[in-house]
Amino acid sequence: MAKAPKLKHNPQIVTANHLVRGDVVYLTADSAWSRSIKDAVVAPDEAAATSLLAEANAQAARNIVVAPYLVPVEPGSAPPLPVQFRERIRAQGPTTEAA
Amino acid sequence: MPLIKNGIETTDDWILVADDAELPADGKAVVSLKRWQEQKAQLEQRNAPLGLSLPNTAAPEELNGDVHRFALIALNFPKFSDGRAYSQARVLREHLGYQGELRATGQVLRDQLLYMHRAGFDAFEINRPDAEKVFKAALQEMTVFYQPTSDDRATAQNVRLGLQQRLARKAGL
Amino acid sequence: MYRYDPLDQQLIDERLAQFRGQVERRVSGELSEDEFKPLRLQNGLYLQLHAYMLRVAIPYGTLASHQLRGLARVASRYDRGWGHFTTRQNIQFNWIKLEDAPEALAVLAEVQMHAIQTSGNCIRNTTTDQYAGVAADEIEDPRVWCEIIRQWSTFHPEFAFLPRKFKIAVTGSPHDRAAVRVHDIGLRMLKNDAGETGFEVFVGGGLGRSPFIGKTIRSFLPKQHLLSYLEAILRVYNRYGRRDNLYKARIKILVHETGIEKIREDVEAEWALIKDGALKLPQDVIDGITAQFAPPAYADLPAAPPAALLEGLRQDRDFAHWHRQNVVKHRQAGYAIVNISLKEEGKPPGDITADQLAAVADLAERYSFGEARVTHEQNLVLPHVAQADLPVLWRALKAQGLATPNIGLVSDIIACPGMDYCALANTRSIPIAQAIALRFKNWQRAQDIGELKIKISGCINACGHHHVGHIGILGVDKAGEEFFQITIGGSASDDAALGDLIGPALNEQDALHAIDTLVETYLGLRQEGERFLDTYRRVGLAPFKEKVYAAH
Repeated sequence: MAKAPKLKHNPQIVTANHLVRGDVVYLTADSAWSRSIKDAVVAPDEAAATSLLAEANAQAARNIVVAPYLVPVEPGSAPPLPVQFRERIRAQGPTTEAA
Repeated sequence: MPLIKNGIETTDDWILVADDAELPADGKAVVSLKRWQEQKAQLEQRNAPLGLSLPNTAAPEELNGDVHRFALIALNFPKFSDGRAYSQARVLREHLGYQGELRATGQVLRDQLLYMHRAGFDAFEINRPDAEKVFKAALQEMTVFYQPTSDDRATAQNVRLGLQQRLARKAGL
Repeated sequence: MYRYDPLDQQLIDERLAQFRGQVERRVSGELSEDEFKPLRLQNGLYLQLHAYMLRVAIPYGTLASHQLRGLARVASRYDRGWGHFTTRQNIQFNWIKLEDAPEALAVLAEVQMHAIQTSGNCIRNTTTDQYAGVAADEIEDPRVWCEIIRQWSTFHPEFAFLPRKFKIAVTGSPHDRAAVRVHDIGLRMLKNDAGETGFEVFVGGGLGRSPFIGKTIRSFLPKQHLLSYLEAILRVYNRYGRRDNLYKARIKILVHETGIEKIREDVEAEWALIKDGALKLPQDVIDGITAQFAPPAYADLPAAPPAALLEGLRQDRDFAHWHRQNVVKHRQAGYAIVNISLKEEGKPPGDITADQLAAVADLAERYSFGEARVTHEQNLVLPHVAQADLPVLWRALKAQGLATPNIGLVSDIIACPGMDYCALANTRSIPIAQAIALRFKNWQRAQDIGELKIKISGCINACGHHHVGHIGILGVDKAGEEFFQITIGGSASDDAALGDLIGPALNEQDALHAIDTLVETYLGLRQEGERFLDTYRRVGLAPFKEKVYAAH
């Protein structure tokens, strides 16, 4: 499995999949989940990121989402722009057109 | 922890004896493989039911005929996803002819109970209050089985053969 | 084709009910994700980059028309109108909701399909030659044995929690179209000196992080002992396969680390204890399953091409191209095997729409006794087409975008879904596959190049089989950019071989240029009748490596 380069110092957002629907979702400022990355709350530093992920994991334990994880984003980007190509594809959809 | 034996919740009257602990004079005692190997002569003298706890890395074949000395053999699933004990169970039942209690311990979850039962386990340490209920439900989930084990279940092939034979008899063949 | 009896149907119905219960217990929280994950994987449901993905089993790649329609229904109702055929002859749907998965499986169960054991650390789909039963060079139909293995391996209670996944492939022909030597167990049918048919058994083949060609564990296994021998191998693997390291857990590592001699000793010792037991196959059981694969009611046709075909070939150049490239000789006089290319220009390789699935169902019904096949190269096959029907069939396929005349040619690329879909990938693979196909779209040029199997994987898990491509491409992440490592000289066939790395990874543009250079180098060096692979085997790596990296 591909491992992200160490981007711990970047601002982070949290993504997960909605348990029942499977949709890609992002954790928002009011601890809800949005399908749009534009609504993702950005954790500016490591401490905030840890806290954000903890909230996401708590919601996973309540069976709302599965497999939450942190996504590093470009500093100052609004809406948040993931650093990693994979995460941009996850946010925007496949770069190919479906058959 | 609830013990399900032969489908019902039963009191577990076996005592697991640590390697360095004194073996009780009577009563049902379970010892480790290590202790069995080191103190075999002494243990054989004991006039009470003896049980063996096998790690899932042990080769049951090393017990040979000794399996019949045990009224209980406990196998272990350190994680439910570690399936080595299924093979140990089959080797014990099918190659070594072990007929005593074969107990599943460790992470024994509802969704593996039928597989365990098919592999030869007849006792299960299931860590939940509704153990008996879920055991019964789990064993009823599937009624068609493709492959033979030492359990009593007819395989699909046997059922088909039985059907063919009945039809052939009907046709007077 | 194997027809389910009420027992087979009951089994998948019960499994569906069981899975429904498991989904309910997950949604209610009674099951944690850790506890649920292996259960949903054993029902083929992955969590992928965008959504849950359902991998539906197509046992040994054989499909009936009503099943193709079932797949079309699932694609339309529960997905985004399309599916993707894989290198293990299965089909994947990429946008399934967990809450819909039981319903989608219910639609499939109605047509005797399921997603049982298409993932998880268990025995997966047994795959075979897409021309099984109809190939001119076949010794015996391997699907009989695939069906026997399928039943034995389905819900095998001892082997549901192996160290890792387990894949078996069978070939009934000396020309291996099933890649048996890169499977955990490969079975090659053959006749011994006494004229009896049996199996050569290979063990420990596989691709991925540590690719290996399988080793012969037994050179001749009599048929009646097939299941007991497989059981012995699986038991040894279950007991001794590594569980300490996910990347060292396949049987290929056990064979490599222990040595084939010791593995053989252990397996044969176990086998000796069980070979005459309940797994020994009685002849009447073998006969019963064999009868299910009896050939369809072929018409008594002359071998010579009929007028309708000859006329078509004369009149229509495109039809002639397609006939030359996609149609293969059949063992039955007057019939042909038709390859349906899913490698249309501009489309992701191996993808098919719901409409196309329905169309293939109809065409199979009309022209192929209701039967189709899936190939491990992500194409389809209609296995029993009367030669006189070829022109009209071709027109119908063309109307659906299913008649690209490129089977085995450079644009017939195998590609995994890659980072566009897969959470494991390092790079995308579909765009580079399409870019390569576009470069070689000219039919004359593709014909001139001849057989060239390009295989692309977006990560080291090698689902695109890049190790055994004549040209293999592996996507790697270099500091966040997509780079591609190229190997040449691999083969998945009876002459199985792993490709050799030509040099350091290249960015996409350079990789595309490298493919051009490799092809040009081949064309410049080849002798009469040589394919790319043959020229490489004759001249070696150096000439290719030099030309590609000359500018670097």
